[in-house]
Amino acid sequence: MITLVFILPLAFGLISFVLKRKFVNRAALLGSAAIFVAVTLLVWLRIEWTWLPNWLLVFFRFDSIGLFFFAVMAIVFAGVSFYSLSYFREHNLTARQESVYILEMLAFVVAMAGVILATNLALLWVFVEATTLTSALLIYFEKKKSSLEATWKYIYICSVGIALAFVGITTLSIGSESIGSLFFNDLYLHASEINPVWLKLSFAFLFVGLGTKVGVAPIHAWLPDAHSEAPSPVSALLSGTLLNSAFLGILRVEEILVRADQQTFSNIILLLTGFLSLLVSAVYMLRVKNYKRMLAYSSVENMGIMFIGVGLGQPGLFAAMLQTMAHSFSKTSLFLTSGNILHRYGTKKIEDVRGLLKRDPVTGWIWIVSFLSIIGIPPFPIFISKFFIIRAFWTNGEGWLALLFFLFIVVVTFGMGNAVFRMAFVDSDTESTGSVKLALSAYLPQIVLLAVLVVVGINMPNLINEMLSNAAAFISSGPAAAVKVAGK
Amino acid sequence: MTSILIILLGTTMLYVSSVSRIEAYVKTLAAQGFLLFLLVMVGVKEMSGLNIAFLVFETLIVKAIVIPYFLLKVIRKNETPREIEPYISQFYALLVATAIFVFGFVAAFWAARTGSDIKPLYFGISIAMMMLSLFLIVNRKRIITHILCYMMLENGIFLLSLSVANELPMLVNIGVLLDLFVAIYLFAIFFNKINEIYDGSHVDVLTELKD
Repeated sequence: MITLVFILPLAFGLISFVLKRKFVNRAALLGSAAIFVAVTLLVWLRIEWTWLPNWLLVFFRFDSIGLFFFAVMAIVFAGVSFYSLSYFREHNLTARQESVYILEMLAFVVAMAGVILATNLALLWVFVEATTLTSALLIYFEKKKSSLEATWKYIYICSVGIALAFVGITTLSIGSESIGSLFFNDLYLHASEINPVWLKLSFAFLFVGLGTKVGVAPIHAWLPDAHSEAPSPVSALLSGTLLNSAFLGILRVEEILVRADQQTFSNIILLLTGFLSLLVSAVYMLRVKNYKRMLAYSSVENMGIMFIGVGLGQPGLFAAMLQTMAHSFSKTSLFLTSGNILHRYGTKKIEDVRGLLKRDPVTGWIWIVSFLSIIGIPPFPIFISKFFIIRAFWTNGEGWLALLFFLFIVVVTFGMGNAVFRMAFVDSDTESTGSVKLALSAYLPQIVLLAVLVVVGINMPNLINEMLSNAAAFISSGPAAAVKVAGK
Repeated sequence: MTSILIILLGTTMLYVSSVSRIEAYVKTLAAQGFLLFLLVMVGVKEMSGLNIAFLVFETLIVKAIVIPYFLLKVIRKNETPREIEPYISQFYALLVATAIFVFGFVAAFWAARTGSDIKPLYFGISIAMMMLSLFLIVNRKRIITHILCYMMLENGIFLLSLSVANELPMLVNIGVLLDLFVAIYLFAIFFNKINEIYDGSHVDVLTELKD
């Protein structure tokens, strides 16, 4: 199973890179997406087989939370690869450009799969750095002056951040010398033997490193630049999957602290950065002039909400997982739609986009509905996750923080809604220059993702509920509970 | 012997915070790679055969020869003016560097008291190397110095990881090295691009994207 995930997409990418035929390109991209979805389903149905030698197999594994993040990634990637067909068409890419794009994208996705499936902390680090390196070229794909600036900031800030995460890994090995291994399972089982001072220190470093990739404030500087300058399908992939995979890294480290009974320390950091992210996005949302940057700040906000959910401990975990899924799907839909808008209007400025509903009703409605989804209007599941988080504040006896949380969300909603509705409803002064229909692939992925969210929001299927609960149960409620689970 | 090598490594960092020619940076980088190689050789008794071979390759070939040579080529090709341009003057930079070293040793002695089996000299110098690299990154305007200081940061981290007795699995080691290598390669590519597209290679030119 794991062989399929790693080897086939890379092989497909190389084949399309060598052959440079449009037909092969598309087959490679869609085929890889199909493989990812198929693997998710097979693992979900507990069908296992493997061709990997044993010594390699210990490094990769599907566990409950890995399966969940992998499923989200597979679905987002499928949507993005389908949308890419319309991107290729609208931008008149040559077969050669297409094949470069596909090779880079497949390498990027494989690196993210590595982050999700890695069973060793240091290996996870290797793959996180690999995601930076593979995605840098994608961000620079359109080869504009501004995208060069964005790419440089992205690759440099993230590389320095990830370098600091390695310091965290080293300090963890100093503190856990008696364990002598960086496999997560060993660390979880012997968490109580780790020297608490070194454990906290290493969490701080790992948090800074992985948090840089998550794009949580105050280390989010690269995020708006990279998200706004990348081609829209790539922005969707960055926001919908890359941030998640780094977030998963933090969750895996958090579990070590929980089992060592040090979660008060990590939860404070998570809550603090979570609220700071909300503050930053609330402030920038009111002044941002570029709609792709606006979506990027919304990602900062949503990652902040997920951090808060995890920082609240047991009561907030389910909400954090639901938020992860719902944010990925809605944000992918928003970024893909922003690609349509960019193509129609040729500008990223909010004030230059007017009368979207008249000029392209389908894009306009998807834009509005995705917005309703991301801010959490019922029946969309973000409503449920935000509601659960507010409830978790009360369960923890921190009701006043819930008020603060609510306040920030209202500001973000106001700022974003202001821009979205102006773009959609206010009529433009100039006559619309005819409305050419975009290809079906420019609409279909968003519609499917939003439909899934509506279903999940109205009546969550049992299978999805189970998957979310299993993922949330990955973080145990404390050392005692962890021992119970291990002994079972 | 180990102590002398580590102190020499610390001295190279003081040296780069006081020099102003870019090529001196590259030479220091090569010297650091070589010192790390010697350090690996001194501690060779405690390691397994495969790991030794790998570390020799990493330090002697990659860190001391390939990367400095590659960066030197990039610098010569782009005809970067030789002077580096700091935001604050060399004298004050040296003062800051000294303060960072003091901090590194304080941190090391504090760490030694937590009961863990760490070597204060390793720990102190590597902390100081990392912090000083970060300080130099912030204090220099030219993008090429950012790349060079990133390598010094990596060297500091490498020194810290040498002080840990645990060996990482070989797959991970190879991955780490590959990442480093590709990172430097991409840095150089984008550095060339920035030089081509913008008139200079100052970070000051990269201010178009903001809110």
